[in-house]
Amino acid sequence: MISEKIPTSVDKFKAISSDNISVQESDDPGDRIVTLNMGPSHPATHGVLRLVLSIDGEVITEVVPHIGYLHTGMEKLGEYMSYHQFIPITDRMDYLAPMLMNLGYILGVEKLLGITDEIPARAQWLRVLYSELMRISSHLIWLGTSAIDLGAMSPIFYALQDREQIMNIFEETCGARLTSTYFRIGGLREDIPDTVIPMIEKFLKDFAIRLDEYQNLVTGNPILINRLKGIGCLSKETALSYCCSGPVLRASGVNYDVRKARPYSGYEKFKFNIPVYQEGDSYARFLVRMDEMRESATIVRQAIDAIPAGPVKIDRTDIILPDKHRTQGNMEELINHFILSCRGFNAPVGEVFSTIESSKGEFGVYLVSTGGEKPYRLRVHSPSFLNLSVLPAISRGSLIADIVAIIGSLDIVLGEIDR
Amino acid sequence: MGLIDFSKLKSETRTFAGKPVNVTIGPRFNKMGVPAKVVFSLKSLMEGMWLTLSYLLSPSTVVTKEYPENRLTLKFPERYRATLRLTNDENGFFKCTGCKMCERACPNLSIKVITRKGPVSDKMELDRYIWRQDSCTFCNSCVQVCPFKALNMTHDFENAVYDRRLLIYCLNRYAGPAAGILAAQDEETRKKMMEPRQPYGGNVPMNGYQLPYLKALPGKPADPAQGSNK
Repeated sequence: MISEKIPTSVDKFKAISSDNISVQESDDPGDRIVTLNMGPSHPATHGVLRLVLSIDGEVITEVVPHIGYLHTGMEKLGEYMSYHQFIPITDRMDYLAPMLMNLGYILGVEKLLGITDEIPARAQWLRVLYSELMRISSHLIWLGTSAIDLGAMSPIFYALQDREQIMNIFEETCGARLTSTYFRIGGLREDIPDTVIPMIEKFLKDFAIRLDEYQNLVTGNPILINRLKGIGCLSKETALSYCCSGPVLRASGVNYDVRKARPYSGYEKFKFNIPVYQEGDSYARFLVRMDEMRESATIVRQAIDAIPAGPVKIDRTDIILPDKHRTQGNMEELINHFILSCRGFNAPVGEVFSTIESSKGEFGVYLVSTGGEKPYRLRVHSPSFLNLSVLPAISRGSLIADIVAIIGSLDIVLGEIDR
Repeated sequence: MGLIDFSKLKSETRTFAGKPVNVTIGPRFNKMGVPAKVVFSLKSLMEGMWLTLSYLLSPSTVVTKEYPENRLTLKFPERYRATLRLTNDENGFFKCTGCKMCERACPNLSIKVITRKGPVSDKMELDRYIWRQDSCTFCNSCVQVCPFKALNMTHDFENAVYDRRLLIYCLNRYAGPAAGILAAQDEETRKKMMEPRQPYGGNVPMNGYQLPYLKALPGKPADPAQGSNK
């Protein structure tokens, strides 16, 4: 007996591809659109962003970003933790600029407690110093990764080399490179060690030379200019209507920076410029960040030249843990220490919204408190999320290779978008 | 870059596959003539090449650290945060009193402190201090809140293992007194003082128990406390 042969997929393919079946050309022009899936694990999408592209040939007609692959429920976690316990969690939002995330959160809590003006000058000064170092570090990673997306291999090595110095400074200061958890509600965790100031001096000296090298290596490179100029043009009106912020907004000709508009943590004492470009394309966004690094370096220089003396913690032991030697010598502070460690402090009833200028844009924290040691609601206003939302509007009509350049120039971090 | 001048952005509607799509167009980099472009490109190429070559020629700029080879000479900052340890007092006892403040302060429940009634002192004392390195974020909160300075974070960072269960440590494997103190006691008290403690236990998930979908570890049954020190 000969068993009937079961058709395999190869046979089916042969049957389709043989000449007796003719494929009819469709007359509907909509059939030319092909859907292409980019991500979620794609080296150019900076994390786990998934883009569904509708392409006509090589030209993009529609982009739909799909987010949520890195969702960790941090906003909800914040409602189940005391205010101090949530600080290590904020490190994981924008994992390239954790200190800025810490700062955004603790400024919100300090505003809720009404102790914004009582923070010691030294603590505020050091917060500015470390925020600006963090901004340089975050922009250096952006410089390296966006250049590697465009095919330039070497900038990331130079960028990481500079960033390594900043990471060493953080390691020396707070013991960790990225998950710093250094800022506290009401000051800093501890004072900076003496060894860190020479390290910052050395970094500034090296970085000044490096910025000129980046100018030669990257910014003035004709290949890079060809890849970025005129790509992903974002007009002023579109940027404002999509609520963009940070370098993306400033590249479109809007002079808005929270550090100047609503100074926090003593930024009004520093002299710096806000780079603004009018073109709104990817190259303008590139130049804004390159100029911002230069400005940040000047702020760091001003900061280390005149660090005020004094304590780094507010003199209220019911809000911040005092130093160990004070705890063990004073009964009242020991009681406060136990209450603060076991339960946390009681926040007053109210709601606050406070923003900072993070390296990606305007980062805000909205806190609703109904009393007690935990917030009733914690909402994070994420700049990367809003900057990403403009992607479909600016990438229609460009090529697939251009969308890589556009994502690189938007500088998104998925940890902050999904949080 | 003075060679390129921008004109204003244009917005127009183009048709792709029969559908109108709003497109914003900016000027491309094509204002230069071909000879100027070639000269500009070559100059920029040479600048980039020269930068790389200059770094190659000056060995003082080498930043590579040959990590596994330089293990003995690695320098850590004083505040470096890695493996958690209990500290001892001058008699060799752990300073920890089992007050559980670190357990309350931990943001993600990585610490479990189990207390018991002491066989000799008849007071509440620390039985087992369980630290889950697999979920620890090294935020240093436990060290900050400890009122007795009983905890510190060492610079011991090489903790890679093949099974996640091996990352759950019992920090006080031997909590008995030192030999000098033991020698001064009579036999019965000495035995009580040296009462063996479970190297590992407590009310945390995956705590040494075999899981149905995970194979048993080779050799002795899962005893993570043994694998903690290299």
